[in-house]
Amino acid sequence: MQFSLTPTLSPSVRKSITLIYHFAERESKSRYKRSLLGWFWSFLNPLVTVGVYWFIFGAVYRAVPPVTDNGNAENFGLYLFTGLIIWTLFTGLVEGSMEWLTSVSDLRKKIYFPTETALLGGAASNLVQTLLEVAVLVVIMAALSNIGWTLVFLPVAMALALGFGLGLGFIVSVLNARYRDVKYLAGILLNVAFFAVPIVYTPELLEKEEIPGIARGLVEWNPVALFIEISRDATYFLQVPLWNRFLAAVVWSVTTLVIGWVFFRKQSMSISEEP
Amino acid sequence: MSVGAITVDGVSKRFRLERNRPSSLKEAVLRIARTRDADEFWVLKNVNLDIAPGSFFGLIGHNGSGKSTLLRLMAGIHRPTVGSVEATGRLSALLELGTGFHPDLTGRENVYLNGAMLGFSRKQMTASMDDIIEFSGIGDFVDEPVKIYSSGMYVRLGFAVAVNVSPDILLVDEVIAVGDEEFQRRCLKHMDMLRGKGTTIVLVSHNTDLMAECHQVGRLDHGRLVEVGAPDDVISAYLEMVDSSDNTLHTHDN
Repeated sequence: MQFSLTPTLSPSVRKSITLIYHFAERESKSRYKRSLLGWFWSFLNPLVTVGVYWFIFGAVYRAVPPVTDNGNAENFGLYLFTGLIIWTLFTGLVEGSMEWLTSVSDLRKKIYFPTETALLGGAASNLVQTLLEVAVLVVIMAALSNIGWTLVFLPVAMALALGFGLGLGFIVSVLNARYRDVKYLAGILLNVAFFAVPIVYTPELLEKEEIPGIARGLVEWNPVALFIEISRDATYFLQVPLWNRFLAAVVWSVTTLVIGWVFFRKQSMSISEEP
Repeated sequence: MSVGAITVDGVSKRFRLERNRPSSLKEAVLRIARTRDADEFWVLKNVNLDIAPGSFFGLIGHNGSGKSTLLRLMAGIHRPTVGSVEATGRLSALLELGTGFHPDLTGRENVYLNGAMLGFSRKQMTASMDDIIEFSGIGDFVDEPVKIYSSGMYVRLGFAVAVNVSPDILLVDEVIAVGDEEFQRRCLKHMDMLRGKGTTIVLVSHNTDLMAECHQVGRLDHGRLVEVGAPDDVISAYLEMVDSSDNTLHTHDN
């Protein structure tokens, strides 16, 4: 008789997990294939981005960043970084999912496998990338001794962004398999959306008379802005997120994920019939 | 249902014709205004078929009769429009060239990926890796990306995976013909061995010699399963049909 410490999983679940692992590995390997510095790029990329934004908005335009909890990290670059991490996670999932589904569609015409594993594998690979960026952020914040127990909200913010991005990814990837325009349309919309999220500016900027209330509402209550706010509360301001905004973030994330999943499950079988 | 059995129950499959398919958003939007044209094509019409575990089943029919579509439905690649298809047990399918290989991955990585799709862990695939490489005869090429493979190498590696993972059901679509004579013989011998182990094999082929080896042969004609029976009867009926259409062709010529 054999005893196993691991909980017994149904064969189809185990098969899916193996596939997710394979796709995640493939995505991670191909990301920096044929590059000498390899994973180092994963660190360099966010650092350079932060550096450029810090220079332009902090040094050239002299944007004043909000004061951190202990007043040690009054730095626009860091303020940006806390937002960019979540933004990059979100856009990476939306744009990546279209690519991941396209890359397995030929395969799926010849062999059956659950296509969602390709998306989940890609998402896992992106999550690893985000964790590396988070590690950079936490190290910097710790060095400035601007760190506290509110850090526990950072994984929550990441999970919410993951759910929302993946939910949207499920929908756009299926649509993109049918109409390749979706990829370009999504690219444009994401470019616009970047400025609807307070990443390069502070939400306080909107409290001017000349900005219409509807624009302010859009910026303040859009899901990605909510996730970013939680991540900033966790790492920059070191405060507990407002409960009503936290609740709104959870509702956005869970609803989108559920709708996306149901839509994907319904539509993904027809991927093998696309020309 | 016992392992290795395939049940096809009242299956019809409809495809949309590509020429009438909107392929961009613009076309799709424009289409809403217009009335829908008849852009459907029924590839299979009300097919009922039971394949017993351990049997060697052949499918025969003219080009476009729906053989490959039926095989794809059994493999779970397509979902039937009407009816249901059930195949119990571990299913391994070889449909056309390079079944389920990803061009950018090496042969070895593809073997792992293929194994994962069939439900095998990495460890299990590592255990049978040597057998697979040996059977395929592709040697050191196993660590090269499969996009540089010749079509023969593609098929050989695909076949090697499909037969070495001890499937309960093996679906084969005319691919063996690509390999050379020696490889074909090896495949047939291996399929014999699997048959001995009780693997259900469904084969699509135009090769009537191969078909004669089957326990049962089904004949498809324009999407309908018109006949299921002993190989000799079905094959001769098929050949008769081909001959008669050949004759009409000649009469027209004259």
